[in-house]
Amino acid sequence: MSRVVVIGSGLAGLVAANRLADGGADVVLLSKGIGGLQLGQGTVDVLGYTPERVTNPIKAVTKVDKGHPYAAIGAQGVLTALSYLKELVPDLLVGDPEANYHLPTAVGALRPTCLAQPSMLAGNLKAGSAVVVVGLRRLKDFQPELVAGNLARTELPDGGRVSARAINVDAVAREGEIDSSGLVFANAFDDPAFRARFAAMLAPQLNDGEIVALPAVIGLKDRQAHQDLSTQLGHPIFEIPLPPPSVAGLRLNQALNARAQAAGVRMVSGVRTVGFTADGDRIRSVRNATVPAEREYRADAFVLATGGFEAGALSMDSYGTVTETLFGLPLVGAENTPLIHGDYWGGEQPIFRVGVAVDPQMRVLGNGQPVYANLRAAGDLIAGSSRWSEKSGDGIAAASAVLAADSILKEL
Amino acid sequence: MRKLAVDVVVIGGGSTGAGVVRDVAMRGYSTVLLERADLGQGTTGRFHGLLHSGGRYVVSDPLSATECAQENAILSRIQAGAVEMTGGYFVTGPDDDPSFADKFLAGAAATGVPAQEIPVAEALRNEPRLNRGIKRAIEVLDGTVDGWQLVWGAANSARHYGAQILTYHKVTKIDTVDGHVAAVHCTDLKNGEDVVIETGFVLNCAGPWAGQIAAMAGAHPVDVIPGRGIMVAMSHRLVNRVVNRCIYPADGDILVPVHTVSIIGTTDVKVDDPDNLAIEANEVQQMFDAGEVLVPGFRKARALHAWAGARPLIKDNRVAATDTRHMSRGMAVIDHTTRDGLDGMLTIGGGKLTTYRLMAEHIVDAMCEKLGEKRVCRTADEDMPVEGAGPNYVVTHRLHDREHDRLDDQIICECELMSRKMFTDALAEQPKGTFDDLRRQLRLGMGPCQGGFCSMRATGIALASEHIDIERATELLRLFLKNRWIGLWPILHGEQLRQTALDNWIFAGTLDIEHLPAAESEVVL
Amino acid sequence: MATDGLEFAGHSLSRASLDACVKCTICETQCPVAAVTPLFSGPKYVGPQAERFRNGESVDHSLDYCSSCGTCTLVCPQGVQIAELNSQARAVMKADHMPLRDKLIGQTVLMGKVMTPVAPIAKAALNNKPIRKVMEAVVKVHEDAPMPPPQSQTFEGWFRKRPTPAGPFPRGPVVFFHGCAGGYFEVETSKKSVEVLEYLGYQVIVPKQGCCGLAQQSNGLFKGATKDVLKLCDDLRSAGKDLTIVSSSGSCTGMLKHEAHEIMGVEDERLKDVGTRIVDMMEFLLDLHEAGELPTDFAPIGMKVPYHAPCQLKSQGIGKPALEVLRLIPDLEVVDSGAVCCGIAGTYGLKKEKYEVAQAVGKPLFDMVKATSSELALCDTETCRWQIQKSSGVRTEHPIYLIHRAYGLS
Repeated sequence: MSRVVVIGSGLAGLVAANRLADGGADVVLLSKGIGGLQLGQGTVDVLGYTPERVTNPIKAVTKVDKGHPYAAIGAQGVLTALSYLKELVPDLLVGDPEANYHLPTAVGALRPTCLAQPSMLAGNLKAGSAVVVVGLRRLKDFQPELVAGNLARTELPDGGRVSARAINVDAVAREGEIDSSGLVFANAFDDPAFRARFAAMLAPQLNDGEIVALPAVIGLKDRQAHQDLSTQLGHPIFEIPLPPPSVAGLRLNQALNARAQAAGVRMVSGVRTVGFTADGDRIRSVRNATVPAEREYRADAFVLATGGFEAGALSMDSYGTVTETLFGLPLVGAENTPLIHGDYWGGEQPIFRVGVAVDPQMRVLGNGQPVYANLRAAGDLIAGSSRWSEKSGDGIAAASAVLAADSILKEL
Repeated sequence: MRKLAVDVVVIGGGSTGAGVVRDVAMRGYSTVLLERADLGQGTTGRFHGLLHSGGRYVVSDPLSATECAQENAILSRIQAGAVEMTGGYFVTGPDDDPSFADKFLAGAAATGVPAQEIPVAEALRNEPRLNRGIKRAIEVLDGTVDGWQLVWGAANSARHYGAQILTYHKVTKIDTVDGHVAAVHCTDLKNGEDVVIETGFVLNCAGPWAGQIAAMAGAHPVDVIPGRGIMVAMSHRLVNRVVNRCIYPADGDILVPVHTVSIIGTTDVKVDDPDNLAIEANEVQQMFDAGEVLVPGFRKARALHAWAGARPLIKDNRVAATDTRHMSRGMAVIDHTTRDGLDGMLTIGGGKLTTYRLMAEHIVDAMCEKLGEKRVCRTADEDMPVEGAGPNYVVTHRLHDREHDRLDDQIICECELMSRKMFTDALAEQPKGTFDDLRRQLRLGMGPCQGGFCSMRATGIALASEHIDIERATELLRLFLKNRWIGLWPILHGEQLRQTALDNWIFAGTLDIEHLPAAESEVVL
Repeated sequence: MATDGLEFAGHSLSRASLDACVKCTICETQCPVAAVTPLFSGPKYVGPQAERFRNGESVDHSLDYCSSCGTCTLVCPQGVQIAELNSQARAVMKADHMPLRDKLIGQTVLMGKVMTPVAPIAKAALNNKPIRKVMEAVVKVHEDAPMPPPQSQTFEGWFRKRPTPAGPFPRGPVVFFHGCAGGYFEVETSKKSVEVLEYLGYQVIVPKQGCCGLAQQSNGLFKGATKDVLKLCDDLRSAGKDLTIVSSSGSCTGMLKHEAHEIMGVEDERLKDVGTRIVDMMEFLLDLHEAGELPTDFAPIGMKVPYHAPCQLKSQGIGKPALEVLRLIPDLEVVDSGAVCCGIAGTYGLKKEKYEVAQAVGKPLFDMVKATSSELALCDTETCRWQIQKSSGVRTEHPIYLIHRAYGLS
C-alpha cells in the first residue's frame, strides 16, 4: 500500500486525508495542533463577495480572475468537493452550490455562505420577519443588543428588512462562574434537562411569530439539540457562530477527525513538521521536531495543508522577507508593494494574498513547473484569494484537497 | 453658548497642564483646564514610560539629572500607584566605549543621582535576556510610570480642589483687552457648543501646540520645535528593569518594562506638524537593531505596537535647530509681557514627564510673582487622592485582582485582564468617551491581540449600558479598530502578523464586519 | 526565595514562547480540567496570559489546579509551551509553601522501597478504610485515590533470580528501562516487556536504575528532580554507549525525552544522549514493523478492548504507536478511547482537594471503558492504569500484555 503524508489538520488536511484513505492509501496525518476549524464559523464558504454580494456561488466561481485559486480548481472541482463534504458529515452540512445563504453574524451583519449547519438555516431571513436575539448573560462573546441593532438596520439581499429586538437570559451553564465559555454552554445544552430549563425561562419572553436567534452553543455532540429546543419553545430558532472558540467549528472538526480515524488515517499530532529530504524532484521524507531527536516520515506523496499566516505556514520576518516555512517554496504575490497598507478600512492587505501557485492537480509551481513532482498544496497556502473578505476559504480548501488527493490516487 | 469665569485658564491636558492645574487649584485659585481631546492623548501618552532616575542626564545635562532624581523620589511617593519602582541598569554594550561608565559614575556623584556599579554577572543573573557581552553594569533607581494614570491622578486631585477639567474642548480664540488676556473661547467638540471663559490669566501648557495657542493671543511666534520620537512596545517584559545603554544619549538607547510590555525607544527627528507624526520604516528598523544590542534575539521577539510622540522643545540657539536631542530639556517659561507686551499669559515648554510637577511649580510661581501674590506650592507634600494612597504599582496587580474576582465577574480584555466592572465603571464616568479614551485608562485592547477578542465584547457592553445607540456603538468599534491599526501596521511581522491574520479572520471573515450598514448621518465620536 | 524556580534556564525559553500565543482558545477547549471545574482558569489564562503579569512571583494560586497533563502544549497550533509555563509558575509558587504531601508523593522510590518488602501489610493498610482516612488527614491524599498495587517481588528481584536466558540474541543488546513503578509495582509489565524483547532476539540489559524525578518535577520540586534525572542518565549510560534504551514506562520516557529539558531547563549532554536513545516500548515495536523487521505471526485474540493513549505518551509527539501495533493482531478489535485524559496526571488525582476534579476529568473515559469491555482495558502508563482500573472497575494493562499473549508467551 502506498503511503501519503498529509501535513496540517484544518479543513484542507482533513478532507485530503479522508479522501486519500477512502481511495485506499495509507495515510499519515501530521499536525502541530488540532487544526483551525474551530477558529472559523463552522459553515462552508464558497464565494460570498466579488466584491458585490454573490447569490450563486458556483456561477461566481467560473468568473474569477486568473491567479485566483478557483481559476485552477474550476467549478467542477468545487462541486465534487461540496458533495464529498456532505457525504463526510451528512448531518452537519446542508446547502445548494448554486445559492448562498445569508446568515446573521455576531455583530449583526448578513454573511453569505454556501453550506451551513442545519441549526443555522432559520437565519436565512425573509423580509418582514421578526427576530428576537437572545443573549446569555454569562457568555461574553455574544452581545445580543449589537446583533439586533445592526440586523434591524440592514437591508436584506432581496430587499426589505426584518425587525429585531434583544433580550438576555441568565441561564447557568455551570455553577460557580459567570464567565462561561461557549464550550461550557454547548456541553450544558447537550443535556436535555438543561434545555428544558432554558426553554422554560425563555418561552414566556417570546412573542408570537418571532424567530429566535441564539449563539451557536446549542449542543456539541447532540445533533438534535437545536431541533428539540425549537420544539420546546414552539418557535423556529437559529444559531449564530461565535468568534473562537467556535462550537460550530468544533463540531465540524470533531466530525471530520472521527471520520478520518474510522477511515484508518494515522494521526500524529503535537509536533511541528520542520524539515524534509528530497531525491531530485521528489520529496522523500519530512521530519517532525520531536525532542530530543527528530522523527522522519517517508512517503510516496505529500499534501501540504499547513495554512497561511494565521497558522505559521507563511511568515514574514522583521526585515519584511516572506517565506513558506517548511519547504521554502516559491511564493506568489510577495513582490507586491506595499504588502501592508495603513488604512484598516482600505481593503484587504495584499500580504494575505501571498501564497504558492498550483496547477490543476494542485502541484506547487515554481517558474511554471512543479517544484516537486509529488508535493501538492491544499487550502490557505494557495495564493491569490482574499478569503476572509470574499468568503472563499472553505471552498478553496475543500476543493484543492479533493483535487490533490484524487490526482495522487491516480498516480499511485 | 456657555459662560464661565475663573481666575486662571490652563490650556493643555498633558502632564504639564494637569500638573499646573493641580498646583493652581491647590494654591486657591479658581481654574479650568481645557484640552482639545482626552487627557494625556498627546505627548504624555506617547512616551516610553520611563520615570528617570536622572542617570540619563548625569553627563549631558547635570541640572536635569538632579531635578530628575529629586522628582523621581517625590512622584514615587505622591503618585505611588502610577509608578513602578523597577530599578534600572546602565550597561556598556559589547561595542560601546567602557570609559563612558567612569564619566557616568563621576557625573552621578556630582549630581546626587544614586548609582553604583555592579558585577556584570549579577546583572545577567537578574536579567537573563540581556546581552551576555555587556562589559559594565551600573544600577540606578529608574522606575516606570503610566503617563495616563499620572495625568488623571493630577486632574482628579485638581478637581478635589475645585478645578474644572474640560476635555474635548478646543480653544478657538483668546480675547485680549488693552494688552491683557480677558477671555478664552472654546468649542465643546462633543456637542458643538461654544464656551467663553472670562479670565485674568492663561497658562499655556499645550506642549508642541503651544506656538499655536500663543499665536491666538496675538503673541509673536513661539518657536516650539516638535521632536518626533518613535517607540515600539514588545509583547511581554523582555526585562524587568529599565535597561539603558551606558553611552552619550542616542537613539534606541533604552528598553523600559511598563505594565505587561517592554518598550524600546526612541528616535528624535525634527518635524513641522505635531499632529502628523509618521512612524517611518527605517526608524522602526533602527529600533529593532538597537534592541538586538540590548537583548539578543530582539528581532524574533514579538513587536506589538508602535507610536510616535512629539517632544515640546523650545528653540534654543545654542545648538542647531535640526538636532533637537541636544537642546535643553530644562524647562523654559516664556513671559509674554516682556516679549510681546501681553499681560496675563505665560507659555511653558521643554521639560520632561519626570519633572512635570516641578515644571508646574515653576510656572505657577512665575504667575504668582506677576500677580504680586505669595502663595506657596504644596504639590510635593500631599499624596494624590487615589493612586497616592496605596503602595507602588506592581505588574502582578491585575493578576492578583482577577484571582479574587474571576468567578464573580467577566474578563472582557483577556490580554490585559480588564474586567467587565472596570469597563462599565469607566464608561459611566466617561459616557461620551471613545473606546480609545477608555483604553488609556483601562489598557483595553493594548495586549497581544490588539483588540481582536475584546473590542466586540466592549462594543456590545457599551451598547447594552444604554449610554450610546447602535450607530454610535458601531462607529466606535470601527474607529477603535482603525486606530489600533495605525500603531500596528508599521511594525507588523512575525508573531504579530500571525495575530493580525487571526484577527482579520474573525472580523472580516467570521463577523463580516466590512458589510455592516453605514450610519445614516455622520456620527460625532 | 520565591524566584528559585526562575533560575532554571528553561524558563526563559518557555517564557519566550508566550509570544506565539494568538489567543485562539484552542488550548482552552481541549483542557480536561477546565472542562470540569471553574476553579481552574484554563491553560491560556494561567499560561501565556498570566505569564505576562508575572515578575518572579506567582500570585495566581489557582494555577495549582492545572494537572500538568500537557494537553494544552500538545494542541497549541502556535507552539506555545503552555504546560511548561504553568509547571514553572507552580514551581515558583511552591518554593514558598510546599505541602508535606507533595514532597512525599514526589519521592516515588522511597514509597516503593517502603512498600515492597511488607507488601501484604501495605496492601492491607491501603485497603483499610480507617487507615486511609488517617492518611488522608495527615498527608492529604484522598481516601479513594488509586494507589499502586504492592507486589511481593520487585522486577529486579525477578530479573536477577531467574535462570539466565541462553540466547542466541541475533539482534544484539538493548537496554531496558522500567521506571520506579515498573520496578516495584508494575512488575508484570516489566517482565512481559523483557520476555517480548528476548523473544524477538534481543539481549536485554537492565542496569540498576533510580527514579527519573518526574513526580518531584510535577510537584514543583525542581532541584531534587534534576538531581534524580541526571543520576538516572548515568545509570542508563553505564549499560553501554550506543545502545537503544527501550522503556515500558511512558511517563518516565517523557521526562527523559523532553520534560526535564523543557520544564526544568536541564542542559546536560547526558540527558540529551539518553533522551535521544530512549524509545517507548510500543514505539520500538512500531519502528521495527515500519522497517519490516517485526514478526507478525500473532495468534488471534478474539476480543474487543478499549485503549487509552496517556497524555504523557501523546505529548511525545509520536502518535499512538500501540494502536498501530495492536492492529496487527488478528481478531483483536482495539477501540481508541478518544478521551483527553484519565484525570490522574501523575500524582494530581491522588490529592485530596483534586480528587473530585480528577474523577470528573476521567469520567468520559471510565464510561467509555465500561461500555467497551468488562474484561480488559489497555493504557501505556502506570498511574493512568491504576486510575482507570480503580474508577472503571475494569482490569487495565499495558499493551505489551496482549503482544506477549499474541506471541504465545502467555
